[in-house]
Amino acid sequence: MVSGSTVTKLALRVSDLSAMRSGRTILYPTSLNIAPAERIGIVGSSGSGKSTFGHALIDDLRRQGHSVAQVPQSPDEALDPLRSMAFHWQEAERALGLKPGTADREALFATLKIEKGDMRKRPWGWSRGMQQRFVIAMALIGAPDLIVLDEPTSALDPVVAAATMQLLDQHLTEQNIAMVLITHDLGLASKWVSKLAVMQDGHLVEEAATQDILNTPQTKAAQSLVAHRNWMALPC
Amino acid sequence: MLTVDTIAVKRGSKLALQNIAFTLAAGKTLAVVGESGAGKSTLIAAILGFLKPIQGQIAWSGQPVRSCRPALVMQEPRAAFNPVLPLRRSVLEPVVAAGQSVPEARIKRLCDGLEIKEEILERRPNEVSIGQAQRVGILRALIAAPPLVLFDEPLSALDAVTQKHTARLIRDLQAEEGFAALIVTHDLGYAVAHSDEIAVLRAGQIEEISTPQQFVTAPKAGYCQALRDAAIALGGLEAAA
Repeated sequence: MVSGSTVTKLALRVSDLSAMRSGRTILYPTSLNIAPAERIGIVGSSGSGKSTFGHALIDDLRRQGHSVAQVPQSPDEALDPLRSMAFHWQEAERALGLKPGTADREALFATLKIEKGDMRKRPWGWSRGMQQRFVIAMALIGAPDLIVLDEPTSALDPVVAAATMQLLDQHLTEQNIAMVLITHDLGLASKWVSKLAVMQDGHLVEEAATQDILNTPQTKAAQSLVAHRNWMALPC
Repeated sequence: MLTVDTIAVKRGSKLALQNIAFTLAAGKTLAVVGESGAGKSTLIAAILGFLKPIQGQIAWSGQPVRSCRPALVMQEPRAAFNPVLPLRRSVLEPVVAAGQSVPEARIKRLCDGLEIKEEILERRPNEVSIGQAQRVGILRALIAAPPLVLFDEPLSALDAVTQKHTARLIRDLQAEEGFAALIVTHDLGYAVAHSDEIAVLRAGQIEEISTPQQFVTAPKAGYCQALRDAAIALGGLEAAA
């Protein structure tokens, strides 16, 4: 389902999502509300269940009929090395039920400052920063209700990563698109989201406004993330 | 002391590094930062002697660097070990290669310092967490007491909390052991918090070498400044007050 940006967006809700792997529970029943255009960070250490929750959340919301876009950690996961960039773009259009060439590629490319990218080339003919922006541009075709980004900057150089986040941030604001940012780095999340959900051992242990968590973290997991959010904040 | 004296290095027909000059004294840490393709890994390969400079010299106290048996800590800890061997076998490779006897007391002391439970050395790489594997990687690097340790993105596979913890363990061991450390990283926060000097590499050349304090408060205009501002935007650095 594709909803245009003029349509009033509904609040999104997932309830009691859980997941098991090899007989072990890796996600205990977890619920989350996402208001229209809200920015939420799912944070936690490695193995806390944040990516699992992200996947479950995407599946469930799509099942409910919402349009949810996903950007994986590395463009390698999103792009086929044997296919041209043009093929990827058309595939994304077809997946959304659009005719090839109907998505406004130029506008999205301009938004994300994708310049001089040769669409005939395969992914490895583009720089990694450009590849990741291309993947984000594909995710934004058809103005989804929500975009879920899993560690979107970790494969990028800092200058490119910061510019990409800024461009994305601006676009999401203009289009009223909600965002879920999954990251182990509370320092990064706190710059871009207004609400944080802290995961630990497959549980969502704390959920509050970003400033509240930064100022008064309640759980051990949140306290640890807050204490380690910045290199300079630590005694060393 | 490591002396890199105005080297140029070619990769294929391309000039990958040029005009690179710096020194690194025992006990000190130099962080090398810069974008992908800037030449950071080429610099490590050149220091280790895998690539020969077409110009200039690299030396450790006047001798070829290889003679001091430098150690390397790699980015992907689990990929850095032989997957079918228990970690202990891999850890001991540097001492076995040097024909030395197994330094049990040293293993114990380093394990304490790196917060490694000795029994995990009996496991294989895929049976431990990434954080544990990276600490074992550091153990292997330090086992033969090298005077120079090169770290290639040592923390980037770890989560934010484990990163800071591991960085502190490295630093404490460096204070005890006195090795010189060259750390390649794209994490400006790490570079600022844990190095004595920061070298910003771009397109094969050094843009600036400065102290962390200078880098935060007054980076060279242009790329260095953009790098600092990006780190602030991404939450890795706090804006200077």
